[in-house]
Amino acid sequence: MSGTHDRLVYMANQIARNFAVQGETAAIAATARHIHDFWDPRMRDAIMAGEDAGLSDIAAGAIARLRGTLRSG
Amino acid sequence: MAYEPQADFGTPEVRADTQVTLTIDGRRVTVPEGTSVMRAAAECGGAIPSLCATDSLAAFGSCRLCLVEVDGMRGTTASCTTPVAQDMIVRTQTPRLEKLRRGVMELYISDHPLDCLTCSANNDCELQDTAAEVGLRDVRYGYAGAHHLGQQPDLSNPYFLFAPDKCIVCSRCVRACDEVQGTLALSVEARGFASKISAGQRADDFLSSDCVSCGACVQACPTSALMEKSVKAHGKPERAVITTCAYCGVGCTFRAEMRGEQLVRMVPWKDGKANRGHSCVKGRFAWGYAHHQDRITTPMIRESIDQPWREVSWDEALAFTAGRISAVKAQHGARALGGITSSRCTNEETFLVQKLVRAGFGSNNVDTCARVCHSPTGYGLKTTFGTSAGTQDFDSVMDADVIVVIGANPTDAHPVFASRMKRRLRQGAQLIVIDPRRIDLVRSPHVKAAHHLPLQPGTNVAVMTAMAHVIVTEGLADEDFVRARCDWDEYQDWARFVSASQHSPKFLEAVTKVPAAELRAAARLYATGGNAAIYYGLGVTEHSQGSSTVMAIANLAMATGNIGRAGVGVNPLRGQNNVQGACDMGSFPHELSGYRHISDAATRRMFEQDWGVALDPEPGLRIPNMLDAAIDGSFRALYIQGEDILQSDPNTRHVAAGLAAMDCVIVHDLFLNETANFAHVFLPGSTFLEKNGTFTNAERRIQPVRKVMETANGLEDWQVTQALANALGLGWAYTHPAQILDEIARLTPTFAGVSWDRLEREASLQWPVNDQFPDGAPVMHVDGFVRGKGHFVVTDYMPTDEKTGPRYPLLLTTGRILSQYNVGAQTRRTANTAWHPEDVLEIHPLDAENRGLKEGDWARLASRTGETSLRVSVTDRVAPGVVYTTFHHPETQANVVTTDYSDWATNCPEYKVTAVQVTPSNGPSDWQEDYAGLTARSRRIAAEPGE
Amino acid sequence: MTTDAVIAEILAAHPREQSALLPILHDVQAEFGYVDAAAERIIADALNLSRAEVHGVVSFYHDFRSAPDPRPAVQICQAESCKARGIDMLMQAARDAAGERVRLAPVYCLGLCSVGPNARVGDRLHARLDEAQLVSLVTAQ
Repeated sequence: MSGTHDRLVYMANQIARNFAVQGETAAIAATARHIHDFWDPRMRDAIMAGEDAGLSDIAAGAIARLRGTLRSG
Repeated sequence: MAYEPQADFGTPEVRADTQVTLTIDGRRVTVPEGTSVMRAAAECGGAIPSLCATDSLAAFGSCRLCLVEVDGMRGTTASCTTPVAQDMIVRTQTPRLEKLRRGVMELYISDHPLDCLTCSANNDCELQDTAAEVGLRDVRYGYAGAHHLGQQPDLSNPYFLFAPDKCIVCSRCVRACDEVQGTLALSVEARGFASKISAGQRADDFLSSDCVSCGACVQACPTSALMEKSVKAHGKPERAVITTCAYCGVGCTFRAEMRGEQLVRMVPWKDGKANRGHSCVKGRFAWGYAHHQDRITTPMIRESIDQPWREVSWDEALAFTAGRISAVKAQHGARALGGITSSRCTNEETFLVQKLVRAGFGSNNVDTCARVCHSPTGYGLKTTFGTSAGTQDFDSVMDADVIVVIGANPTDAHPVFASRMKRRLRQGAQLIVIDPRRIDLVRSPHVKAAHHLPLQPGTNVAVMTAMAHVIVTEGLADEDFVRARCDWDEYQDWARFVSASQHSPKFLEAVTKVPAAELRAAARLYATGGNAAIYYGLGVTEHSQGSSTVMAIANLAMATGNIGRAGVGVNPLRGQNNVQGACDMGSFPHELSGYRHISDAATRRMFEQDWGVALDPEPGLRIPNMLDAAIDGSFRALYIQGEDILQSDPNTRHVAAGLAAMDCVIVHDLFLNETANFAHVFLPGSTFLEKNGTFTNAERRIQPVRKVMETANGLEDWQVTQALANALGLGWAYTHPAQILDEIARLTPTFAGVSWDRLEREASLQWPVNDQFPDGAPVMHVDGFVRGKGHFVVTDYMPTDEKTGPRYPLLLTTGRILSQYNVGAQTRRTANTAWHPEDVLEIHPLDAENRGLKEGDWARLASRTGETSLRVSVTDRVAPGVVYTTFHHPETQANVVTTDYSDWATNCPEYKVTAVQVTPSNGPSDWQEDYAGLTARSRRIAAEPGE
Repeated sequence: MTTDAVIAEILAAHPREQSALLPILHDVQAEFGYVDAAAERIIADALNLSRAEVHGVVSFYHDFRSAPDPRPAVQICQAESCKARGIDMLMQAARDAAGERVRLAPVYCLGLCSVGPNARVGDRLHARLDEAQLVSLVTAQ
């Protein structure tokens, strides 16, 4: 998706921001789960393959977690 | 069924614990206490002649025909206004009564044109019937004296006429407008012999008055004084078919009254549980689009979108389509294919489209127009309560003491339900309106909100949090309910969060612009005013925090114990007729029917066994992601049934670019809509009058849609989808939607007890219908939440990223108007345009003056995304800094200015908040003119097929 | 003061309740001599009634006029008792005296049945009228 990496980063950050109130650990888990449950695989692959630049800490944590679980599967 | 008007019991049904037994003409009758003698007589088959009584209206006692004799009472008494009493002895037919009735009838007829044979109500007229019933044989008074004959009819309403010479001034129309519709547009002008039914004031006609053309007066009229023009044109109906309206999510049931294949009129069905015999201007009158000349009834294809369309046979169209789909799949894989289901179509059609995508295309790239309206409802209510649906039936509002309307405008968008709500408000329920705009409910005749919180668009979560703050910190929460029904620890976390000082109404006032005292009062009323019910609409969902607001609403309802009984609850007002159904049917890319996630292996296995294919276990693309992926090249073919995403979805240019990038766009619709400008295949659709199936309304009520006339294109929509599936080699063999419904029931636990036969018998069912709820569930979560314990979710207010600034200082919010519906594909092709010929921009007088704009001026409306032009209406309905428009007309293309921002959880677009600038303009913008050119080019149809 | 401002003052003197409709209409009629369509709208809006409702009430009562009529008015009773006492025989003379200049308005009973025929001008009642008295009453306006 051309220019869409930015859009995916935006979406991930927006999700993370809305979970942030739960505290960082819970928010990372919730964000990862949300992306896992609702994103098409090509979107997940794209954000996992991309740079973390621009991702908030929670979003980056969630993407890192997804890299761990999805790639091993 | 053969044509016969519905039975009329004269006065409304009464519900009472005590039963009363009386004797009418020698027959013993038992009825609830408070029932009128007239109704008691009608219930035992002995209808008493009357003219001013009808069972949708309170008794009036003016026509003096329904007189009866009652033992122990002097004289004769009007049976409509006389309640039954234990052991009362009533006689409805005696020589004295005969003489009196005949004398009264003689007076009525002495001032009535005796043109029955050429009257449009001939043989369908209560005056005529009553004259026969009372045995009127002679009229002694000639026309030499004063009379009302020869008065000119009022033809101003496009759908019905008022003929004063046929009027007997029974007041039924006036009372229907007052009691049923609640608009109070009619009155009796003058008095005595000069009395005349008057719409508005002396100089008004029906069109210029407050009349909203709901048809209640026409329905109530016992003569042809108020009569549908279509009956005048086509004659008396000969048969009637009960079916469900295809406009909004209220789901009114109608009798489609027919002559041959001609629809003569739509009449609200009194037994319809959603509408209880009422209707609005859309459902009752705006069906002319079904026969509009713009309808396309022949399939069309083209190699590329710069070519003219070529009319072809169904076989050729399907072969062409299957070829393209197969080619894309071969080259780019199944995940390059997708489909969009429609909230306008039936459950069965929707189910088949998602089945085609999942089982035929082999991807989960299926989405639905609920993406852009109520997807946050699905997410939010599923998360908090455990089910993606409203909690109540519509009747529940009659038990509410406090009604909260948030981000909804029921009198325009859900008019028939709004009339019920207004009836309850006139009975004394209190109203809280939370909306940036002063909607009609805030103040209109006999209705006045106790509190209107005119919040800044985009601050719903902050307002909900502030209300929660008041409820928790003032000790108004129902902790017993919470302890019993919800997760107590989660509640405490939530209560701690909302109690923080930065969530006080005073602190948040800077953000919400809602005066703290007013918000506090509203919160107290909600928590302590008795049964409190929340009704909300797209003003809640279409925000970057749409899902959060839905959850915040659910939190409030749980915290105050307003869940699980009549009169309370959380009620999304669904925009389209079958939004609920389309969502139920597995239209979302991540879930199968009944809201079960695609990754759930057990559920998937059930479908795989039934369908005989393997399913992709990963969620598919949502509509905006499909468009992104199309531009990116990884998504290339889209089947769109009954939806016009180019006009309805945000950021029109982005949608256009996405569609233009695809190899195959298949539009299945009634008209060459805006999306079809980018299509390669056009498959003609069928209207709701031309097919069988079911719709599910906002109260989870599954209702039958019945075929009342033959299809114009030869195939019902489910047959088109089946033909496409079979062109792809799937071998489907449904012969009736009942079989599809059986499949849905087989695969969906909440629909387990639903079948076509059962709907034929019971008229409607409210899901869940299964072993636990064999007769369905009017109210949900009665004994416990579907998910077990109610789940409090802390919702933290986040300002939207769409910010005003010096270049775009105003906030645009969008909405609906009564006479038009959604993108207007239907209503623009009816006489409803008499009320709303174009979209206009509402702007506050201060903002208008600053810009030198006057009422009716053209203005340029520009955002960071795009610009359009439209006329302005200067009004203080909107606050300074806020402008408002509708998106019913493609000429305006309001979505050219809306942005890509969307709900964080569901990507539901943020239609309700766009930063804009408004400046004077000379007329349509460049984009509008370019687009008009594109539309003209892309709608060309080659003169001869095959040319 | 503009018409709207005067009506606003009248409205301010009454409670904003539907029951205030008739007293408000009386005050407006007294102030202007009529209640026109514009006034109906303002009053309807203030009391949260529909304009049709207010129009229904205004048009029901003969005393409320919808347009100004600068002519002086004489109300002459046409009810049974005054009929019995011969009012019909005086009417032609009264009409001749009134011409276009004075408005003759029928009323039905002024509550002085034993001393009819009766008429009223403003708040002043006139009883035991004969033709000459009635003509002079009309002419004097």
